[in-house]
Amino acid sequence: MFPLLRYEGGRGSYDIRTQFIGKIMEKQTSPYKWGMVIDLDRCTGCGACVVACQAENNVGICDKKEISEGRNMHWLRIERFWVGEYPDVRVRFLPVLCQHCHDAPCEPVCPVYASYHNPDGLNGQVYNRCIGTRYCGNNCPYAVRVFNFYNHEWPKPLDNQLSPDLTVRSRGVMEKCTFCVQRIRRAKEDAKGEGRLVRDGEVQPACAQTCPAEALVFGNLADPHSRVARLSRSPRRFRLLEHLGTHPSVYYLKGGGREHV
Amino acid sequence: MSEHPGSSAKSALQLNDELLSSLRPPSLRWYGLAFFLGAVVAWGLYAFTYMVTTDMSCTGLDRPVMWGIYIVNFVFWVGLSHSGTMVSSILRLSQANWRRPILRAAEAMTVFTITVAGLFPLIHLGRNWVFFYLIPYPNQRGLWPNFRSPLLWDATAITTYIIGSSLFLYLGMLPDLAVARDRSRGWRRKLYTILAMGWRGTAREWVIYHKASTLMAALIIPVAVSVHSIVAWDFAVTVVPGWHSTIFPPYFVIGAIHSGVAAVITLMIIIRRAFHLEEYLTPLHFDNMGKLLLVIALLWSYAYFVEVQTTWYAHEPIEWEVFSFMAGNYTPALLLMLFGNSVLPITALCFKRLRRSIGAMLVISLLVNVGMFIERFLIIVPSLSHKNMPFVWGTYRPTWVELSVTAGAFAGFALLYTLFAKCFPIVAVTDVRELDVREASVPFGRTKVPSVVGKE
Amino acid sequence: METLGIFSDVESAARAVECLVRAGFAEAQITSLTSVPYPDGVLVKTGRRSWFRWLTLAGGIAGAGAGFLLAAGTAWLYPVQTGDKPIIAYFPAGIVTYELTMLFAIVSTVAGMFLEMRLPPWGKRPYDPAVAEGCIGISVSIHAGGETVTCGRDMQPDECIGGIASLPVEGQKSRAEEIMREAGALRVIAEGQS
Repeated sequence: MFPLLRYEGGRGSYDIRTQFIGKIMEKQTSPYKWGMVIDLDRCTGCGACVVACQAENNVGICDKKEISEGRNMHWLRIERFWVGEYPDVRVRFLPVLCQHCHDAPCEPVCPVYASYHNPDGLNGQVYNRCIGTRYCGNNCPYAVRVFNFYNHEWPKPLDNQLSPDLTVRSRGVMEKCTFCVQRIRRAKEDAKGEGRLVRDGEVQPACAQTCPAEALVFGNLADPHSRVARLSRSPRRFRLLEHLGTHPSVYYLKGGGREHV
Repeated sequence: MSEHPGSSAKSALQLNDELLSSLRPPSLRWYGLAFFLGAVVAWGLYAFTYMVTTDMSCTGLDRPVMWGIYIVNFVFWVGLSHSGTMVSSILRLSQANWRRPILRAAEAMTVFTITVAGLFPLIHLGRNWVFFYLIPYPNQRGLWPNFRSPLLWDATAITTYIIGSSLFLYLGMLPDLAVARDRSRGWRRKLYTILAMGWRGTAREWVIYHKASTLMAALIIPVAVSVHSIVAWDFAVTVVPGWHSTIFPPYFVIGAIHSGVAAVITLMIIIRRAFHLEEYLTPLHFDNMGKLLLVIALLWSYAYFVEVQTTWYAHEPIEWEVFSFMAGNYTPALLLMLFGNSVLPITALCFKRLRRSIGAMLVISLLVNVGMFIERFLIIVPSLSHKNMPFVWGTYRPTWVELSVTAGAFAGFALLYTLFAKCFPIVAVTDVRELDVREASVPFGRTKVPSVVGKE
Repeated sequence: METLGIFSDVESAARAVECLVRAGFAEAQITSLTSVPYPDGVLVKTGRRSWFRWLTLAGGIAGAGAGFLLAAGTAWLYPVQTGDKPIIAYFPAGIVTYELTMLFAIVSTVAGMFLEMRLPPWGKRPYDPAVAEGCIGISVSIHAGGETVTCGRDMQPDECIGGIASLPVEGQKSRAEEIMREAGALRVIAEGQS
């Protein structure tokens, strides 16, 4: 049983203080601080994680036309960079998903609180509150937020594949990776029913579950003994766009003896 | 002391007749114009309805350019709304006599442009039908809108500005409505009677009125400055490279005054022609407005120069990438913008002959506004196209839906203005006549000089 | 009750005012009706202070409170964590407070102006549409006096009365009419409650 930790990230904290009156109104603490480690030395760029995410989260199916217009709905994308000149060409893969920043730029700009920060460290998106101003999409430096430009449909019998654990988003609504919050919630409920906390490795988002190279590791960063916490302390670690001060929850690992790639 | 009636100066009746000529029953040409504008508005409405009933894929927006022509329009129209406030208030407070024929047109322009501007935040929503989530009203959801978001500051500021500028326009019109009331019959008389609130023009009413309009002019200027600063903060408070710049609020305010003053000049030229006000909107007025436009053009050029120069010198990679993408991809637009906003006004408006020439002023003022529209576009779209992650760089091209809505907005503004000019006095009658009453040619030395009695 | 005389130009109107004052009417009882403002003293003297600007100030203060409650108060009542921003953030609260201050101040200015002008009027007041065409109206408020009441600085026209008070109401009215016709009034209208 690990101790209850109060997370204090960046300039902000989960202490909801009224600075005006100065007394602590409510303290939102949580034993969980979900995070992910992506080992770029293991990633082969196969794209199984992208497919798994689409299947798990009722993500709209996009055709060639939509993608060529720049309107793909991938919550998780594999960025591919070619390095070097022929015949010495190499390729680098970078899976980019919502970084669940602790100081997320997308959250304060939403005029209706559709994007907010929950005590578990997740950046939440409330679909039925979203009115579609797309300010959060503009302010996300990682461009991981996707907007439902099209009214996606699942003609029968494709609608049988939809997961009942989460909604199917209507047009005009922003969406993004949620770390498969429906799975996290299910695991938390099960654990609560048994009077314990969620064990390390018990909850896996679809991408981490599917990755054949085990490049994606998910877990509770607040638990110092969890696999993800140990990996996030690796000397190979870096985070994307750290100069912006967003404090992402996703760590990338690179440089373990494969520098030639 | 006025000249005695019957002399060469116009009597009050004649002045009233000429300045209020626009209130006569509409001609066929007016109906034709109104019908044409209405048709364009209807087309814009159709395009908007098409977008709302299908989905937003009919626009040119994509990831990462999630704000396009609609927001360009929004910023542009808010900028135009600074016309009336700046021109009218500043000229009132500085007690410049040449303001008198211009005031009403400028103030009316403010009200209608900010109305059109206020529509665009509703037009660009992905789910327009739940726009009321933005309104802070008690509800059972236990949620209020997020006042930390600049969009809510927008909503507050635009509401304040619409109400403020409407009241400013109404206040300015009050004595003129009384004059119109006394000259009209039928439904118009009823309308003016209600609006004139029983104004009789007693000495006490005039004193209070003068104090109130001076106070309103002083109050509306900070509101105008804050409105466009808040719109600028929509961009400046983000982490988008090219947007996150402290110069944005003053830069936007200066740009707004620039486009606003140019638009007032354009409007003055149109009104002068349409309502035969050649004697009241003289080359002197255009001369002075031209000088004002020259000053603002210089200020705008300075602000733009500063913005580019600091980006160039520091050469911070991401910001420089955004700027060079803009300059490389949109070169013709950039050059047209610099020509219309800076080069042409600064060179041409130095010459008194060009300032006094109506044709030249029309061309200059129209080009300024074309340049300002392009400038808004070049601020918004290139920064979004090339954000921080190169893999998701994208482009944007407006579609027929967005262009139709833009055209509908322009036509809507013109239609509102046409309706206004037909129903309400478009020139500040009492203001113009006030100067006429207090002006006289006084023999002084060897000749007669014009002089104005009274403090102002 | 008000007696209104219509004059075609400034000189005759000014003559009428002079005669009225000499006949015993108080300055504050006489006012001019014009479609353009004349400088103070040309027709009548109006040295009054106006109080509606206090309403502007009150409105501004009320707006500041309202704005602060709207931005900071509601955020405190319904706290939702977003990014690194505190629940009650200085700049957003400041901006919204400022906007509502200005809004309330502007609305109070207009409302206060109408209040002080006492518009729209309750009863019918004498008026002639010729005023809009450039004629000047001189209006005398007549009320039963009995005794002279010296006009204070901020008195309303119906509170003070000059030496003419010795005459009954009808006498005052006819005296005023006589003076105005002598000075060259086009017509005299007598009606209404002051």
